[in-house]
Amino acid sequence: MEFLATIVILTCTNALLAAGIVILYKAGRTVNLAHGELAIVGGYVFYSASLSGSDPSLPFAIAGALAYSICMGVFIYVSMMRRLVGEPFYVAILVTVGIAIVLKSAIIVIWKAERLTIDFGVAPAVYFSGGATLSYMDITGVVLTIAFFVALFLFFQFTRLGVQFRGTAENALLASQRGVNVNFVLSLAWVIAIGAATMSGVFFGARAFLSTDAVMIGLAGLTAALVGGLDSLRGAIAGAFIVAAAQYLTVRLIDPVLSEAVPFLILLAVMSIRPWGLFGTMEELDRV
Amino acid sequence: MSSIGRNLRTDYLQANEVFHRPYQQVLIVFVIIIAALIPAVSSNFFVHLLNLSFLAAIGALGLMLLTGFCGQISLGHAAFLAIGGFTTVILIVHVGAPFIVVVPASALSGALLGFIVGLPSLRFRGVYLAISTLAMHYAIIFLATFYQTKFGQAATAGIPIPDPTIGPFTLSGDREWYYLLLVLLALLTAGCVNLVRTRPGRAWMAIRDRDIAAETFGVNLARYKLLAFVVSSSLASMSGSLLAYYSNVVTVEKYTLDLAVIYVAMVIVGGMGSILGALLGALFITLLPFGIDALFDYLPREWRFGSTLFGVQVGAVGVCIIVFLLFEPKGLAEIWRRAETYFDRWPFRYRPLESARR
Repeated sequence: MEFLATIVILTCTNALLAAGIVILYKAGRTVNLAHGELAIVGGYVFYSASLSGSDPSLPFAIAGALAYSICMGVFIYVSMMRRLVGEPFYVAILVTVGIAIVLKSAIIVIWKAERLTIDFGVAPAVYFSGGATLSYMDITGVVLTIAFFVALFLFFQFTRLGVQFRGTAENALLASQRGVNVNFVLSLAWVIAIGAATMSGVFFGARAFLSTDAVMIGLAGLTAALVGGLDSLRGAIAGAFIVAAAQYLTVRLIDPVLSEAVPFLILLAVMSIRPWGLFGTMEELDRV
Repeated sequence: MSSIGRNLRTDYLQANEVFHRPYQQVLIVFVIIIAALIPAVSSNFFVHLLNLSFLAAIGALGLMLLTGFCGQISLGHAAFLAIGGFTTVILIVHVGAPFIVVVPASALSGALLGFIVGLPSLRFRGVYLAISTLAMHYAIIFLATFYQTKFGQAATAGIPIPDPTIGPFTLSGDREWYYLLLVLLALLTAGCVNLVRTRPGRAWMAIRDRDIAAETFGVNLARYKLLAFVVSSSLASMSGSLLAYYSNVVTVEKYTLDLAVIYVAMVIVGGMGSILGALLGALFITLLPFGIDALFDYLPREWRFGSTLFGVQVGAVGVCIIVFLLFEPKGLAEIWRRAETYFDRWPFRYRPLESARR
């Protein structure tokens, strides 16, 4: 039971990250290497915002996280990514690497690289026989992740903006000629991706801790996205599950030391066997 | 040669000249003389900084050939440095090999590894290649960690290395190292300048600009891409080996992804596709944290405490990457070139076409 619960929670953290990476890849053919940093900084913002009142308050925290996602998303798109249209592919990737470093330094300067756990002092919801626990935060995380993916599906499938979104992903130039506000759509993509990353960072911070090392969750998210296929949202969930299961099983069955190595081992395997991922399109691949 | 002719190259021989302006030879001799005199007049600490820059410059030259000339993006440069460092350790600890043997051997093992890491480039380009080098980075660092925990005295302290000896001399002081590194860097720079003028360099640039077009011109893509990886990683590995000797210790904690990114930053800040850029970028990025440290002297004293200074030093590299990519994509080398053009044209102004600016 505990085994299943842990895998499901890990899957949710990975899936939220992977979804953001996939959305950004589809929107602008950018692989965001700053995703782990964006998630963890989001967690820190959530933590600090929750303390802005007299006692820890959830509404403040959520408002802070939302404001962070919107400001950061719009800022990154408008001030950096928008200028990079037509530049060689590596420029956008390297800009995200630069963003990653700046965010890491923000953790050091603003939060003194402190190890923090997001904790509202609520007793765990479920006790397992082995001493492990499941908190309300974890359960909320799972529920919200499912809600997020359902909402994303409905949004892309049934709303006008969602259709514009898919159109922009397919061909931004044609979309803009048919009157789609491409700049709005692409900034929204960044906001959604960072919002999902922040959720992931918060749930990770509630379960483990926030620190400069925690940004490694970005690698797990990237691996999950690649396993599923960089251009497939369905794949993000499947990939997240595979990575989570592999992480958990190596820790449990083989050696805890290996847990950090698992994402990149899967990454290497995927790159050599099926680089377009489980659900990705093969044509999408930048092949030589 | 007319003033226009200096920028407009009309035949192959002109394009292939090392010196496009008459004063450049004089300038280089001048720079070398100044560089040779620096240890006589400056502090030990400054010489130490220059040594670090020279070591970084050797690695940056490697990455410049790969990324700036061949257009293959690599986030695995720290792993190549690590291979140099760990080859050095292994050869010293288990074989007891001397300096003269260890450094070339490190370059060789780096070349071998570059061949392996370069293999994915035969199938992927762009984003996927960057990700595969990222995965390779973690794989190599994982192996290095494994070695260190098995053979190091303590898991975190790293493995100590004695000062190298060449014949009867022992290299220990910063000043001895300075001259060795200066000569080595000068030779390697000359080598790289000539390499990019000759067939491999031309092939690399063709691949960078359009790989399919390059192939139709008869460039063997597989061969030259792998060659770029091999040359690049052997330079990085050599730099890693020298750095291990210079800092007297090898520890896996040093070879983080951040280090790989710092090398990428050197190449970007220096200017893609310019050997001069690699040198300028290495110097700039190596001196940057120390410059910030000096700047903090003018700020409130309490800012120095805690982690603010360290955080700002880390962040400055990221800011440099973003600012240069957005506003000066050809880097410091382009600023230098503009200055040269300005003096060529003086007293007239030179304005390139709007479309030719980027």
